[in-house]
Amino acid sequence: MEMKTIPLNDIDLNDRRFCISYPLEDEALTESIREIGIVQPVLLCDASPLIVITGFRRLASAKKLGLENIPAMVRKVRADEALLLSIHDNLGRGLNTVEKAYALEKMIGAGFSRQTIFGVMALLSLKPHEKVLGSFVAIANEGRPLKDFIIRRGASMKSIEYLLELDAKERRGIISLLSPLHITDSLLREILEMLILIKIRTGAVYLRGLRGASDGRELKARLKKKSYPILSSMEKKFLAMKQRCALPPHIDIKVDPFFEKEYIDILLKIKSENDVRAAIEKLKAILEDGYIRSILELTQG
Amino acid sequence: MNSPRAEHAPSQGNIVRDCPGTKDHICCGYKTIDLIEGCALSCSYCILKAYLNTPAITIHDDIPYITSQIDGMTGREARHILRFGTGELSDSLALDRRYRLNRPLVEFFGERKNALLELKSKWAYIDHLIPHLNPYTIISFSVAPQRIIDEEEKRTSPLYKRLKTARKAQDAGCFVGLHFDPIIIYPGFEKDYRYLIEDISRILDMDRIIWLSLGLLRFPPKLLGHYIEHNRKNLLYGEFIRGEDGKMRYIKQQRIKVYTMLYKMLKKKNKGLFIYFCMEREDVWRKVTGMTVRDDDALMTLFDERIKHLYGGKI
Repeated sequence: MEMKTIPLNDIDLNDRRFCISYPLEDEALTESIREIGIVQPVLLCDASPLIVITGFRRLASAKKLGLENIPAMVRKVRADEALLLSIHDNLGRGLNTVEKAYALEKMIGAGFSRQTIFGVMALLSLKPHEKVLGSFVAIANEGRPLKDFIIRRGASMKSIEYLLELDAKERRGIISLLSPLHITDSLLREILEMLILIKIRTGAVYLRGLRGASDGRELKARLKKKSYPILSSMEKKFLAMKQRCALPPHIDIKVDPFFEKEYIDILLKIKSENDVRAAIEKLKAILEDGYIRSILELTQG
Repeated sequence: MNSPRAEHAPSQGNIVRDCPGTKDHICCGYKTIDLIEGCALSCSYCILKAYLNTPAITIHDDIPYITSQIDGMTGREARHILRFGTGELSDSLALDRRYRLNRPLVEFFGERKNALLELKSKWAYIDHLIPHLNPYTIISFSVAPQRIIDEEEKRTSPLYKRLKTARKAQDAGCFVGLHFDPIIIYPGFEKDYRYLIEDISRILDMDRIIWLSLGLLRFPPKLLGHYIEHNRKNLLYGEFIRGEDGKMRYIKQQRIKVYTMLYKMLKKKNKGLFIYFCMEREDVWRKVTGMTVRDDDALMTLFDERIKHLYGGKI
């Protein structure tokens, strides 16, 4: 295949039938092209106007930079072949979640068999399963805010599935709530799981009480109070009891985080015999005041 | 009933096994016979959804192979009366009208007279088995308020049919078992369970209920996502925590409260009722019943006493 120099005007840049790149804007690439031009020619489908098969990002940068001509190879291919070329050409760089979604959704649209689609899913390190495919198609059909959120957060499939459980309005609300916060994916997953549990129980997503949370932890704490009221109230009682005990820094009382185990742990940090005597005195005092009994009652249900 | 594709599997390995039990929770020492793997019924909460990957049903019908394993187990057991069941990886009765797998086992246990077979089901049909039933087979039904049966136990028999069939088994000379499992916490569940217990005491001879288990909903964590995805409001109403065995359970305080309520209601109907908890902690046992059941062996001993009390020297 011969490389040619093609005027940008001969290419239909709006025809994105084979485009799986997301997002198209790539500042680093634009800078690189500004510096040394397009190194790798784009692949175009022989039609009038020419249709892009691969190189959407390079072309977006070229357009932004006002380039008039670009290096390209032109090939006469069927639509299904062009789509596979586009997918395979991008495989090497590692596709993000939205790009994988585009690839699969476009394959369905192009009428590929499930066997071929599942084959590509395996290449994309996805479980070749109808349910997984369904989730990716749903991502492809979503609006930009969710796609951007997924990319920015590097959201896991579980988090994405939770987001897809919500309707568009709820999703918008949650994305705007979460966007300013720095949270890990595991925290994101926990937050979404609690939000959905509340929605399933009450029929509505609980957002009002979450506004103004300063960070992910505070958001989680507020949600936990709402979705785990018994556990939260037990935690509160335990902390209040511990506070009343006025434990010195070298003594601590710990309970099972879910109040499942009936025993409690009493931790002592000891440097000397005197520390031991002091700890015994303190424990004796809180024992006589009934605090240990109260904590045990809490853990024993 | 219509059912998914069934495959007959060659007999190999242990088809008769110890119930896997679960860490830090007291197990009754049940023995399971995996006669059928997979279920034709469709309960939304079913733990098999997490354990079995395929909707297909596998049948192990090499009865001599199975009975030799049962003989091996009973022969090795010197202290306890063993209880075997076919309802661990499937429903014991749902496919029996078609495949007739239970009859040879019922007859086998009737001949041996040294252990009990429990057929545990949500499918109320035993007419084909009635002529062959003997006291060494326990016909058991999982029971739940009709609302839960309607919403969460698709393709199963309604409550009144399960209870009438249990009564039929009692009238045919069998003891029956009842399993309140899973007990689901949802708004108004207390009232529904009160009515359920009323129905049981009205329809069944309470003295011929050999055992009754209580087990609140518990499930492997990966089923939580499944319940969320399928919007199972009833299943997700309560507060779940991860238990010491890694399974999701209602928080202990809630479990104790619900078990105490049901235990009292049931004991009020029949003081002599043998009630046990399926996979519960020792402290929950103690708090609800006042009994100290330290380990699996202690619970198996309670079962032995119950069986000896009902069967005298006939086992």
